[in-house]
Amino acid sequence: MSSNRKVLLDISDLRVSVEGKQILNGLTLNVAAGEVHAIMGPNGSGKSTLANVLAGHPGYQVTAGSIRFEGTDLLSLAPEARARAGLFLGFQYPVEIPGVNNVYLLKAAVNAARKQRGLAEVDAFDFLTIVREKMKVMRMEDSFLSRGVNEGFSGGEKKRNEILQMLVLEPTLAILDETDSGLDIDALKIVAAGVNTLRSPQRACVLVTHYQRLLEYVVPDFVHVLVRGRIVHSGDRQLALELERRGYDWVAGEAA
Amino acid sequence: MSALATRIAEDFAAAASCAAEDPAQAHRRSALSLLQAQGLPGSREENWKYAGLRGLERLRFLPAPPSATATPDAALPAPVPGFTRYVFVDGRFAPALSATPAAGMFAPLSRAGAPLQGLPQGMDLRFALLNEAFATDGARLSITRAASPARLELIFLASAAAPSGGSYPRVQVTLEQSAALELIERHLSAAPVGSFVNSAAQVHLARGARCRHYRVQELSASTTVFDTLSATLDQDASYRVHLIALGAAAARSTLAVRLAGEGAAVALSAVLLGARQQLQDAFALFEHAAARTRSEQLFRGIAAARARVAFNGKVVVERGATGADSQQSLRGLLAGPEAEVDVRPQLEIYTDEVRCSHGATTGKLDEQMLFYLLSRGLERAVAQRLLKWAFLEDAVASIEVPELRRQCELSLAAALEDETLKELL
Repeated sequence: MSSNRKVLLDISDLRVSVEGKQILNGLTLNVAAGEVHAIMGPNGSGKSTLANVLAGHPGYQVTAGSIRFEGTDLLSLAPEARARAGLFLGFQYPVEIPGVNNVYLLKAAVNAARKQRGLAEVDAFDFLTIVREKMKVMRMEDSFLSRGVNEGFSGGEKKRNEILQMLVLEPTLAILDETDSGLDIDALKIVAAGVNTLRSPQRACVLVTHYQRLLEYVVPDFVHVLVRGRIVHSGDRQLALELERRGYDWVAGEAA
Repeated sequence: MSALATRIAEDFAAAASCAAEDPAQAHRRSALSLLQAQGLPGSREENWKYAGLRGLERLRFLPAPPSATATPDAALPAPVPGFTRYVFVDGRFAPALSATPAAGMFAPLSRAGAPLQGLPQGMDLRFALLNEAFATDGARLSITRAASPARLELIFLASAAAPSGGSYPRVQVTLEQSAALELIERHLSAAPVGSFVNSAAQVHLARGARCRHYRVQELSASTTVFDTLSATLDQDASYRVHLIALGAAAARSTLAVRLAGEGAAVALSAVLLGARQQLQDAFALFEHAAARTRSEQLFRGIAAARARVAFNGKVVVERGATGADSQQSLRGLLAGPEAEVDVRPQLEIYTDEVRCSHGATTGKLDEQMLFYLLSRGLERAVAQRLLKWAFLEDAVASIEVPELRRQCELSLAAALEDETLKELL
């Protein structure tokens, strides 16, 4: 890691429990601007817990440790304040909200972030033009605009919608929780193209994934292996390939 | 006789002495004696336990005297394009605020010179008897096939404060064979006073007739209102009722629809919103009395603060109503720690070969949905209102008159205390 890294996310010795059960056991990780990190690990290792805790899901108790985002104590912020500060969570299971229009949500989200920065509300016409451009990247049909949030979407459409929201919101830090799961190869390529669109020296991305398949299209700078709530191994993308070959038992055994 | 029954009898005698030449006097007396025999509903009765009956103890039942001051046009909502409007103030026809009565289509009951129609039967219709006994005027709508589709709007304004008497709106709707009517019926307050309103509506749809009936209740925050609607549907008739109740301190709406002819169909979409300490109670009774009859009930109720919202949907499939189809989707939303929502589907089936489905749920805002919206940066209060709005979406979207839908959406948004949602509309 080069010394002139600008650290965006700094997680130190994080311990988290859910309903009294300890899930994260002293997780330490830092992510700098311009970097893409992949968090891999077997089922139940705490990957999704990490993603949800970063976004501020109320179902998780942080019992120790700290998370700083651009120097701010992230844990002191409500979920909506985290989003407005530039953090985005792409959900593993995006929820359907019938009756809340997709475009309305996008617009409300953009305006909430703009308000935070003291900017005027986005012009409705310009906004639609921007959304349509991003929809092209995600190969989404126009009818999407008039539908309810994720209402009646297939699994793949929901994941594409997550990435669309990310493209419109342009977060400083995106955390994508198993965005690749359940996607066929074509949808995976579209999602990967969306993620790559947003790569820049100012932004960072954390990909939480079970398989290394997505990493062929979004090449990470770092790969971390999470086992039983701790990062037991870090490396570059070669690590992901090695995991693919040797399975998680190999690192799990090493950690024990 | 209870104190309440005594007061009703006294008020009736006082009213009768004021209108000695009333041609409907005998009919009124029959209604009163039937009511006295049956007694007013009590809160121990299954279908009345959530109704705000206690409010009755403080009331006078005399019809309010004609308003001395003219009601300004400004008390009325914006016109609904395509609809002919007739206005009543405290139950009396107000020609100055109304369109010219269209011969054969609309007539004020007082001018029609005929007594009110046959007495309502059934213990759940007792407030209609109270209306029969005291009503001073009303709207008679007779729609022929030639005049179809007719589009009429009835506005009932309450202006008198309860101590000076009650308001007894009345609507009689008759559709001839294959006639069609879109009817808007609104109950509003002309002034921010607490009134007593007891309205009654009777609907008869002849064979193949179609009626869409929008009923909007936005009375002042201290008003007590009881409302009773009974409808009979002949063969292949179709009746859609939209109930939107936002106003009053205590409101009870009773609907009894009899599917008397083969293939008749009724659909109710009810939105009840309770804030503060409001009470919103609705009871719908659908009787399938013939083969292949269909009924649908959609209920969406939100109770905030210390409000109580209740919906009791009862469907009876009588012997011989083979092939009947009934669906109920009843959903309540609790939006305050001291709020209460009571949702009750009731089904009585006395024949085989029927299709009946019902779903009834009551809960708080979905935490996963809320977190999703928060994670996109929306303020918590905005996210909550958005979800309440979404909860009502099905019911609101079914209002097919654009101007009426717009007005209802504004009222609903105001009731949800929402500024941000107005841009949606």
